[in-house]
Amino acid sequence: MLCQSISPCIDKARVATLQDELLNASTGSDMVLLREGLCPGLSEDLIKALHGGDVRTVEDLVLSDPEHLAQKCSVSYKALVAVRRVLLAQHTAFPVSGADLYDELLSSTSILSTGITSVDNLLDSGLYTGEITELCGGPGTGKTQMCFSVAVNVAHELKQKVMYIDTNGGICANRLLQMLQQKTVNTAEQMNALQRISVLRVFDVFALLSSLQNLRASGLQKGAVGGSVKAVIVDSVSAVLSHMLGGKQNEGMSLMMQVATELKMIAKDFNVAVLVTNHVTRDGNNQLKAGLGQSWSHVPRTRILLQRVEKPGASSSLRTATLLKSSRQPCYMIEEFDLSPQPQGESRTGFAGKRKLDTDS
Amino acid sequence: MMLRTVSSSPLAPSVKVRLINAGFHTAADLTEVQPLQLCKAAGISPEEADEVLRTLRDDSSPLQQGAAVQSLTALDLLHQEETRGSIVTFCSELDAVLGGGVPVGKTTEICGVPGVGKTQLCVQLAVDVQIPVCFGGLGGEAVFIDTEGGFVVERLVGVAEAAVKHCAALAEDEEQRKALESFSVEKILSGVFLIRCQDHTELLAELHLLHDFLRKRPQVQLVVIDSVAFPFRHELEDLSHRTRILTGFSQQLTHLSAQHGAAVVLTNQMTTKVSSGQSKLVPALGEIWGHAATQRLILHWEGAQRFASLYKSSSHRDATVPYHITAEGFRDASVSASSASSLSPAAGSHSKRPRTEHQHS
Repeated sequence: MLCQSISPCIDKARVATLQDELLNASTGSDMVLLREGLCPGLSEDLIKALHGGDVRTVEDLVLSDPEHLAQKCSVSYKALVAVRRVLLAQHTAFPVSGADLYDELLSSTSILSTGITSVDNLLDSGLYTGEITELCGGPGTGKTQMCFSVAVNVAHELKQKVMYIDTNGGICANRLLQMLQQKTVNTAEQMNALQRISVLRVFDVFALLSSLQNLRASGLQKGAVGGSVKAVIVDSVSAVLSHMLGGKQNEGMSLMMQVATELKMIAKDFNVAVLVTNHVTRDGNNQLKAGLGQSWSHVPRTRILLQRVEKPGASSSLRTATLLKSSRQPCYMIEEFDLSPQPQGESRTGFAGKRKLDTDS
Repeated sequence: MMLRTVSSSPLAPSVKVRLINAGFHTAADLTEVQPLQLCKAAGISPEEADEVLRTLRDDSSPLQQGAAVQSLTALDLLHQEETRGSIVTFCSELDAVLGGGVPVGKTTEICGVPGVGKTQLCVQLAVDVQIPVCFGGLGGEAVFIDTEGGFVVERLVGVAEAAVKHCAALAEDEEQRKALESFSVEKILSGVFLIRCQDHTELLAELHLLHDFLRKRPQVQLVVIDSVAFPFRHELEDLSHRTRILTGFSQQLTHLSAQHGAAVVLTNQMTTKVSSGQSKLVPALGEIWGHAATQRLILHWEGAQRFASLYKSSSHRDATVPYHITAEGFRDASVSASSASSLSPAAGSHSKRPRTEHQHS
């Protein structure tokens, strides 16, 4: 009944890109200061001598030419090469064979249903763990509602934990309860599901980064009881970032990429699905495009655009979802869905991922 | 276990650059460093070194505002929401749409054309927030930031008189009668703090000072800004600059409402937007601003009848309801006004007056 494993229809090409990503993820921020005890042979004297050659971090040491450095700081070339080799080995990523990666993928990747069937169709069954999925759309297009739906679904149907990072004050526990009430009448189950959703409220990018780093440091509270964290939701990432970008500010871009790196690492290292929301802007032709610019557009693996259905007579809760970026489904697929369907249609038993397995194999 | 990086901390960029050049990249690099050592190594002043160590060492210390983010479960949040309550609008239909009134701890935007009743609703809320707890109110106070100069104190008196009368008519038990003694027009007037901001600089400055004000006066549960549009629409020529200021501004408002548990109510003007040859009225300040508030209420005319539409909300379904503005303030639309065939106008409007949400509380 837990998150089912992925169907074996993944081609080798995708495995290759996965491997690339894994390599990138593991060589993150390894700008470590040279310290005594970092590796055997790195004595205090050697560090002092290296400081004379302006070598302070592992990065400096890796970038320098050992022969030249040995001369400059008058240290033993042999010792330097030995230390360098150990440090290189410590700070590099290991090659993983595609076959091993594929095995790991089959055993560890799960697909989390969003709780909305048509959106699951767009996403090829749901949110994949280890990836960043983005929802973008204008105000009132249902981004937050989708986030709630995912949170409720993971907490209730899959009995797994969710980390919900709220940056724009949109979180509303009452609405979460309402959604749970549509799934079950059992009050204890509703309360248990609510307890599986942890909420962090941060309102600026520094607090966001600090909480993401703390999350990573604490291993997403792995040891905690009641399942592991399967989904991290950030609603919205643009709220804290967009005002730091552009103009004469030069820090925003760096902070944005740090948020991206943290999210990617969390997704990969802990094998969780990361869902973020973003706003939209208009390009020269008045066409909608996702916010935060080009650099950010490389961050999410899958991107969905949400829009209101502006038809006379249409229900005000009707929305369309358009796939803007995906490595599984053809782009520009469009699905229509209702944000708050009337309660009578609410008797879903299985969830989308399960059905997908049956039809595919 | 410390994954905090120097570059992701809220330090001055120049200090960060120096730290990184000196080889300090993560909080772990700084654990064993003394302030004086850091001064020398990074070439920063003792004060800066002190700040660096404080920021990066004790992220959990309550000194850092915003940095100490506790994680709550959604269940805790639900209890919090239930105890916080909301501010009634005196229009029962609108209260029903909003789930009891304007929610405390959230931001709500009210948009509308001139004369439709934005300021009236704000004045009504500033009075209603003070309704004693035993009448189902919050017994709070209000801060009213007026940027347009549209605040008329006589109107506040009128609305306050009507509210006092209304409560007097409802008083049933001893407790309520006792509460009424102190619930007077003078009391209401002294519970509204008017701040007149002439331009956007004053508004932005005021927002920074408001934290202190709210800390000193915890009974303030409503902050009205009437309007946000005026100072930003007419003084800022550079649109992208304006959008950036506004997004930062909205994050601060969200922070303010969440931290102090106050309802933040903003008003906004409408503007004409031409798309594909058709013009329609949309809220001013651009599309990105639409993300600012958690809830967006649009007030509009249809013929001679005023309507309020909930356009965006994370907790409630979109809906449109009629309302009236009378000498007493913001009220339900009487039966006669909403239906063209008026039957007995006087009787109809009076029978609707006693509000149910007051009686059952």
